[in-house]
Amino acid sequence: MIEALNLTKSYRRGTMMTDVLKGVSFRVRKGEFVAIMGPSGSGKSTLLNVLGLLDQPDSGSYLIDGIDYARTDDETRSAARSRMIGFVFQQFHLLDRASALRNVTLPLLYSETSRDGTARAERALEAVGLTHRKNYLPSELSGGEQQRVAIARALINDPPLILADEATGNLDAASGAEILQILRTLVDGGRTVVLITHDKEVANHADRVLSFSDGRMTGNEIGLRGGRDAGEGAAARP
Amino acid sequence: MSRSQRIAGDVLTSLLSNKQRTFLMMLGVAAGVAVLTAVIAIGQGTRERVMELVQVHNLDMIMVRAGGEVQVFAPQADRGLAALVEPDARAIEEAIPDIGKVSVVQAQRGINLVYGDRSAITRVFGVDPGWAEIRYRPLAQGEFLTEADWASMSRVAILGDKVAKTLFPDGDAVDKVIRVENDPYTVKGVFEEIGQAANGEEDQDDRLVIPFTTSARRLLNRPYVEQIVVNVPDLERIPQVAELIRGLLRVRHAINAGEGDDFFVREPDDVVDAAMQTPATLFALMAAVSVVALIAGGLVIMNLMLISIAQRSREIGLRRAIGARASDISRQFLLESLFVALAGGVVGVAVGLGAAMGLDEAGLVVSRITWLPIAIGFLACMGVGIAFGVQPARKAAHIDPATTLRGRAA
Repeated sequence: MIEALNLTKSYRRGTMMTDVLKGVSFRVRKGEFVAIMGPSGSGKSTLLNVLGLLDQPDSGSYLIDGIDYARTDDETRSAARSRMIGFVFQQFHLLDRASALRNVTLPLLYSETSRDGTARAERALEAVGLTHRKNYLPSELSGGEQQRVAIARALINDPPLILADEATGNLDAASGAEILQILRTLVDGGRTVVLITHDKEVANHADRVLSFSDGRMTGNEIGLRGGRDAGEGAAARP
Repeated sequence: MSRSQRIAGDVLTSLLSNKQRTFLMMLGVAAGVAVLTAVIAIGQGTRERVMELVQVHNLDMIMVRAGGEVQVFAPQADRGLAALVEPDARAIEEAIPDIGKVSVVQAQRGINLVYGDRSAITRVFGVDPGWAEIRYRPLAQGEFLTEADWASMSRVAILGDKVAKTLFPDGDAVDKVIRVENDPYTVKGVFEEIGQAANGEEDQDDRLVIPFTTSARRLLNRPYVEQIVVNVPDLERIPQVAELIRGLLRVRHAINAGEGDDFFVREPDDVVDAAMQTPATLFALMAAVSVVALIAGGLVIMNLMLISIAQRSREIGLRRAIGARASDISRQFLLESLFVALAGGVVGVAVGLGAAMGLDEAGLVVSRITWLPIAIGFLACMGVGIAFGVQPARKAAHIDPATTLRGRAA
């Protein structure tokens, strides 16, 4: 599904150049649930931005489904984000003044087709168990519910890849577990999920944990699968 | 729906879900457009009023009369002074710049008219074909004298309203043949009623107008004329033109330095100045005010948008993450600015026209509402919306989604 080869990225801060990604290489197979785990300041967010086609690497190549997006223009990357990638953020990033339903339909503004938008949004909300809350504003929802709306939003264009950035970071343990459960369901449904976290507990829900530190991959281990739903066949799915 | 339509719809939805901000954003533009539309409506009204004054008082006409200053003391009689002749009029036409049509006027009182068993005594005017235009005399029936009538010295006539009513109480005078001093004249038309002039001048409805050639060679048999009337389209030029005419006629009449004129050049009164001067200054001022208000309104939109973009940077980042191109973001904010300005335009045009009508009702100004103030009002607000939306839109498009989405608690 995705293949990163020797990705580098530096930022200029004043006159200082800081190398954030120092040659990152890894591979995630289709249908895999992978956690990228690393401490704060290790460059995880930068990596996520490159993986999510929000930012370009300085060098290296980054392939999704065999196509290299490392040096493509904004239009190509935007179209690929719309079609192939669903984002789930720590802060949910819902529009305050829009209902759950409108938040979920938002990606349709930028997708190739908005046909049956409301029906698709309702199906996505159903998948995260929030049909009964579709007309609520984010402020009327709990944190866990807001994150489920965000997941429904990520699903509306039916993308093969879900990128979750500390998706449980703002939630209490119970809500966090719910979200991880939903992510697991998505993997079971054939999607690829990349979860970025600093929390080993959270990372252990994945099939495989990639340790990331100081801009490099430092270890590639099979997850402990301590999570409730670690399905046996998940890691082996092609 | 196309992508652009979807984005436009989304912009409308978010503007409507944030009515207070939208209202504040459009206020400035609304004020500017209101003043602008009111100024234009009042300006147009005043212009029309001035045009009307020009026509009623013939303020764009210089009249040359035969005889020197002496005539002032004998205005009611046809003096029969042999000073002005038709070639003087043709010479004015040839030599004087910045003038419109020129017509001679040969006048004679006490002309007998007969139609069937009805009769009237009136004053005849022999004129050139341009006369009706110079004096703004529209016809109620028929048509005015033509070049052909003039060239062939036709016995044709236009009747004043009062004469027509006397000879033809049932109306319908055109093509009837009347007798003028016993000669048959075909009626070509009837003037619209003018009504008695307030200043007690003679009754302008009591007259008969025929071609100058006919009056000079057939009816009156004399070459000299009472008046030459000259149209001057640019009112500002009237004093200079009058002076040029005076100079020309002095030369033509071989008047030596120190001798008095044997004619009198009468300029129109300065009624226009009074009607136009005050509003002109006021309009310039109000137009300036409206431009300033529009620019201020644009700056308000721009600043509120820049603030809102800073506040909404996460929303912008999110939109980018879910597939928006930089150009989609730019379009979103440009449309937002345009919609707000247009909303301001609707309110502004309505308020402006309302104010113009209200002031008109109150008798303070003369307003005229046409498509012009509405069109200019909307064009102005669209211009403001686009001009002041460009920078916020560009700024929004350049927001780095990677930075704004991070938002990670340290």
